[in-house]
Amino acid sequence: MRGKDVRLEDVVMRFGSFTAVQQTNLTINAGEFFSILGPSGCGKTTILRMVSGFIDPSEGRVLIGGEQMNGIGPAKRPTALIFQNLALFPLMSNWENVAFGLEARGVAKAKRRDRAYELMALVGLQGHEEKTPNELSGGQKQRVAIARALAVEPAVLLLDEPLSALDLKLRQYMRAELKEIQRKTGVTFIFITHDQGEALTMSDRIAVMKAGVVEQVDTVDNLYAHPRTPFVATFVGENNVLEGKISHIQDGFAIVETQQGAIRGINQDKATIGDKAMVFVRPERTKLLNGAALDNTFEVDFERRDLEGAFVNLFFKSDTGSIIVHEANLGQHKELEGRAKIGFNASDAIVMRSGELSDE
Amino acid sequence: MNSLIRSYGKGLTGIFVTLTAFWLLLLIILPQAFMLDQSLWSIDKDDQLGMKIDRAYSDLGLLEYDAQQATGDTNPAVQEKIDTLKEEIATLEAQETDPPREYGLQNYTRMSSLHFSIFVKSIFYALAVTVLAFAVCYPVAFTIAKLATPQRAALLMLGLIIPYAINELLRVYAWLMILDYQGVINSLLAWMGVVSFADKTWIPFLEYPGSVFVALIYAYVLFMIFPIYNTVETLDKNQLEAAQDLGGSVFLTHWRVVLPHAKPGIAVGCIMTFMLSVGSYSVPQIMTRGKSGDWFSQLIYRQFFETQNWNVGAAYAFSLVLVCLAFILIMMKVFKVGIRDISK
Repeated sequence: MRGKDVRLEDVVMRFGSFTAVQQTNLTINAGEFFSILGPSGCGKTTILRMVSGFIDPSEGRVLIGGEQMNGIGPAKRPTALIFQNLALFPLMSNWENVAFGLEARGVAKAKRRDRAYELMALVGLQGHEEKTPNELSGGQKQRVAIARALAVEPAVLLLDEPLSALDLKLRQYMRAELKEIQRKTGVTFIFITHDQGEALTMSDRIAVMKAGVVEQVDTVDNLYAHPRTPFVATFVGENNVLEGKISHIQDGFAIVETQQGAIRGINQDKATIGDKAMVFVRPERTKLLNGAALDNTFEVDFERRDLEGAFVNLFFKSDTGSIIVHEANLGQHKELEGRAKIGFNASDAIVMRSGELSDE
Repeated sequence: MNSLIRSYGKGLTGIFVTLTAFWLLLLIILPQAFMLDQSLWSIDKDDQLGMKIDRAYSDLGLLEYDAQQATGDTNPAVQEKIDTLKEEIATLEAQETDPPREYGLQNYTRMSSLHFSIFVKSIFYALAVTVLAFAVCYPVAFTIAKLATPQRAALLMLGLIIPYAINELLRVYAWLMILDYQGVINSLLAWMGVVSFADKTWIPFLEYPGSVFVALIYAYVLFMIFPIYNTVETLDKNQLEAAQDLGGSVFLTHWRVVLPHAKPGIAVGCIMTFMLSVGSYSVPQIMTRGKSGDWFSQLIYRQFFETQNWNVGAAYAFSLVLVCLAFILIMMKVFKVGIRDISK
């Protein structure tokens, strides 16, 4: 099995007067684990359905492996889709489920049975071949769905939030499993999710979508370290936000006059003086001042301390909103209260023109 | 029972149970048991009995007149004759009020070969109607359930239901008008110049069993569509898409995914259509107007209301009940569905 690349060229999708996907260009490399991340209703599933062939774009072209796919139905495309609810056939045994694609291709029964058994062994389901899907646990069903999709030897595997129904432990396990299957098979994976943690742990690259627009396409590291828009900054991981107006610009840095005073950060948007701007700084780069000299400092009220096992989240209240400080849990700050001074370095802060934040 | 009492109290539960028992006993068990009992009596009725009695009475009148006129020694002989005749009349009258009857399966086993062939033919026709109705209804039910937009599905549904607001007889007469010698279709053909009324070259649709089929399918189409629609409707649309995505053809998708899912509905639809059409009286009566052979239901009618032989009629009717029961059991076996699936 070899993965193929997927290209969306100037693709637009409209349903009546509603535009689900605004003009989009997207290239997904062959053999890549690519995630499309966004809140519900952002158009990510629409893109998935355009790639799988259930719908054709209103404008633009979809290419898989360089071949134009418009007008070609899902049966004829080198793709396989794993549905959110898996859509296993409950009245067939598991091996028959896996073999359905082969049955459709006219493979003889004995042969497709052997192949189905092989694939079920690949996903670690030996001994469950003759059972029906409803006799399996959630994680096992998941694997039947994966085996069923792999049976047709797709070049591109499309996954529509297939992990959302699983509990946390199983989800984490399946992430590793999916990644491993992707590595073993070399198939291009396009993974749809609204869970940024899921996208970050599994993907090579991620496209973040909002309201039908792809906001940013980047590698996992870049996406986290250099978000391009306020939405991406707040949707992918957490960010502390300070709002104000730019008062100075110097050497790629901007100084924003906020209610917490003048804050300096990287002028990413090349904004000009007087622009309304937002400063974003990650909680793990925001520090409680204990003698360390930082570029930006201000005072806030301590609110509460949430323990998250290896980490501890400290919540502070400022005049304009809450600030989170994220630290490794070394048993510190147990007696924190009242006013506290916090700060961060200018090189850890990103200044962007004001925009819409994620409300999640 | 206990949970019923807990939720509704003793009074209401009592009413529920009584009503159910009433329904079961009076409306289901009792009539069937009565019918079964009737069907097992075979009464040896002498058709000539009434005439024989009448003749004996007139003979008696004559003899009594003779006896009055006669004198002397002829008297005892006439008197003897009168006595014999009176005895004879008494036996005949006893036979009339309480004819010799036999309890057993004679009414079932003595069905004439003509009646038996009609019986078999009716079952075969009802099966054919069922198969045809399924062939017509499955695509319609699937389209309404899965392919049509919600608004269009509602309209289609309405279109299917509206004709059923009209009496069944009228619907059958409508088909009669369509298929008649000078009906809608033949008029259309005449207008196109294919047939001519003057030369009586019309197509005699009503003389083909097909016309009864058409009317029966039309009469019972809903009983087939609704159960199938109800089960297909519950099929997850993703399963259809999954089958399509995996390359499944339309045939394979229906054969492996939709039909197995719709089995209980298909079984119910087939059972209802079969039972209704095998027992239908008005449709074959109206559509054939006696021009083609009787259906078994018409035969039963004749036994009850023309031959006045209720026992044979009951036996015929009960045979039909047995056939329907057998059909239900076969359908359950074939479709591997239980009573529970069917009652859903």
